Amino acid sequence: MTLRDLTKTALSNLSRHRVRTLLSAIGVTVGILTIVTMVSLGIGVQREIVRAFTGVGLETIEVRPVTEERTVFNQFADPERTVIITPELVEEMRARDDVVYARPHIFLGNGGMRVYLRVADETMEVRVSEPVWWDGVDDPFAEPPEIVAGDDIGTDAHGDIVVSARTLDKLGYDEFEGLIGQEVALVLVTPRSERQEFPLRLVGVVDTHIGTSYPGAYIGVADAAALKSWWYNNPDLLENDGYDSLTVKAASLNDAAQIVALLEEREFQVESLKTTLDIVNRVLSIVQTMLGSVGGLALFVAAIGIANTMIMSVYERTREIGILKAVGASPGDIRRLFVVEAALIGLLGGVVGVIGGWLLGLGLNAGILAYLDYMDIPMRGTFFFVTGWLVAMALAFATVVGLLAGLYPAARAARLDPLEALRHE
Amino acid sequence: MNNSDVVVRAVGLARRYKMGDTFVNALQGVDLEIARGEFVALVGPSGSGKSTVLNLIGGLDRPTEGEIWIDGTELSASDEKALTRHRRQHVGFVFQSFNLLPRLTAEENVALPLMFGGVPEKERQARARELLRQVGLAERLTHRPTQLSGGEQQRVAIARALVGQPALLLADEPTGNLDTTTGVEIMRLLKELNQERGLTLLVVTHDPEVAAFADRTVHLRDGQVAA
Repeated sequence: MTLRDLTKTALSNLSRHRVRTLLSAIGVTVGILTIVTMVSLGIGVQREIVRAFTGVGLETIEVRPVTEERTVFNQFADPERTVIITPELVEEMRARDDVVYARPHIFLGNGGMRVYLRVADETMEVRVSEPVWWDGVDDPFAEPPEIVAGDDIGTDAHGDIVVSARTLDKLGYDEFEGLIGQEVALVLVTPRSERQEFPLRLVGVVDTHIGTSYPGAYIGVADAAALKSWWYNNPDLLENDGYDSLTVKAASLNDAAQIVALLEEREFQVESLKTTLDIVNRVLSIVQTMLGSVGGLALFVAAIGIANTMIMSVYERTREIGILKAVGASPGDIRRLFVVEAALIGLLGGVVGVIGGWLLGLGLNAGILAYLDYMDIPMRGTFFFVTGWLVAMALAFATVVGLLAGLYPAARAARLDPLEALRHE
Repeated sequence: MNNSDVVVRAVGLARRYKMGDTFVNALQGVDLEIARGEFVALVGPSGSGKSTVLNLIGGLDRPTEGEIWIDGTELSASDEKALTRHRRQHVGFVFQSFNLLPRLTAEENVALPLMFGGVPEKERQARARELLRQVGLAERLTHRPTQLSGGEQQRVAIARALVGQPALLLADEPTGNLDTTTGVEIMRLLKELNQERGLTLLVVTHDPEVAAFADRTVHLRDGQVAA
């Protein structure tokens, strides 16, 4: 019997009991749907993370100062830094051939610091940071904000400020072009009402799309250092405490590994995105395996269902099997016929499951994006991603499950005595 | 008689069935020889073992004792594979209850044995059509068994039995489910096939009128050939 004849005959047999075939296939559908949905979630999230990280660059290294450990004696004070990122270290990094750029950062807003923005006579509290979209390290998922007026600034800007459209809107401005080039000020006020104004030139207005998670104003690292220096009353801030972090982008992954080793030797706290990504990948693989196993369990139950259907089918078709044997079908022909029927039930369930899983993924993805949008979380992407490889594996798996479930019933059919089978009513 | 002229030679056939704790002898010491082109009727009352002989010669059952030679090859020592090959190549069965597959058309039913022989679909169709034409059913190719009369169904079954070009046609009460007129028609068809194509026929029946079509009649009684 050729494979073509086998398949044709099996399909014809299955179509005789459409409802029963579909019901048996539903088990496989549920299992495959679960697996496809779960694994596509794993693949999608992994892809999004890899995409975000590679957008930042795997060659990017984050260097942080080391602070002394908190003990009962210093728990209420700001911990002392034992290894600091000095301007000299920044220069050293910038001088290297294998470094594309080295950008130091100063974080504002810690230690109870409150910053106000004054434009003309209007003042409001704002969150201030460096224009982080330059290296995207703080939030790899962030899209760069759109410049709606004036120019962008870099972290090396000095005396310039970029303000978000949302902040200006709250201060009562709806037209931004006229504000470009005007002098505004960042104002620090201590709890004891000591007050210091830092005059800056407004050079640009950005639309941050999704407002709340973004700071309201952006300044260069030198100005940030000036603010922090006044707040902590520490004129030699960079000499004493250094920068809060340093982003080094190496020319290649190999260079990055060497720089990481060098800085670790000098006892800096170093994180490269590569190591983080490796860990994320490993965790995701474990999660994927676990979720896939849930589908596997569903498939096991489905296999029992198929086996049951096939055993019933063998019983009902006993006489037919006798006729087939009488006209020359070998036990092998009979066995193959039933195995192919069972495998086709699996394949049918698999096809529906793959399509269902894909559609479910699309639906869930739309739901997640709508939720993220509603919650103002700046995260976009395809979180359920179905690859050709996943489709092929899922279909093959479904078919094999059906095939395995059909082995025992098929063996029973093949073993039937032709004479007894012919007498069967 | 020359060996090559003997299609069936059975020597000392015995078949014992186990029923509960006792053994029932369905056949004991049956000798039978059928020459090429011969039409033999196997007659006897029910339970005499006629069908058992037919099933043993057709390879649907194995004898407890004795030997069966078909076309010079011993069958009783055969394994399952050889039995399948025997059923596929050497014999064709016609049953009392036709035993057609209800969901297949007449043409598909006739072509079925060729599918297991690995014959290409085009050729299967051509041979099935030709045989259905020969048994007078050229207009009934796409009819299913339920759309055919009893006589027509038996003609389809005969065409199916012949499609593999067997040396021997085995018929078990072929007219048992048919009215007298139709039964006679079927027997005439078999006789025609026997005379015109030289087909060797072994027909099991309890009906003397059916047996009358045969060249020779073998009587069985209580599992033994009666004198």
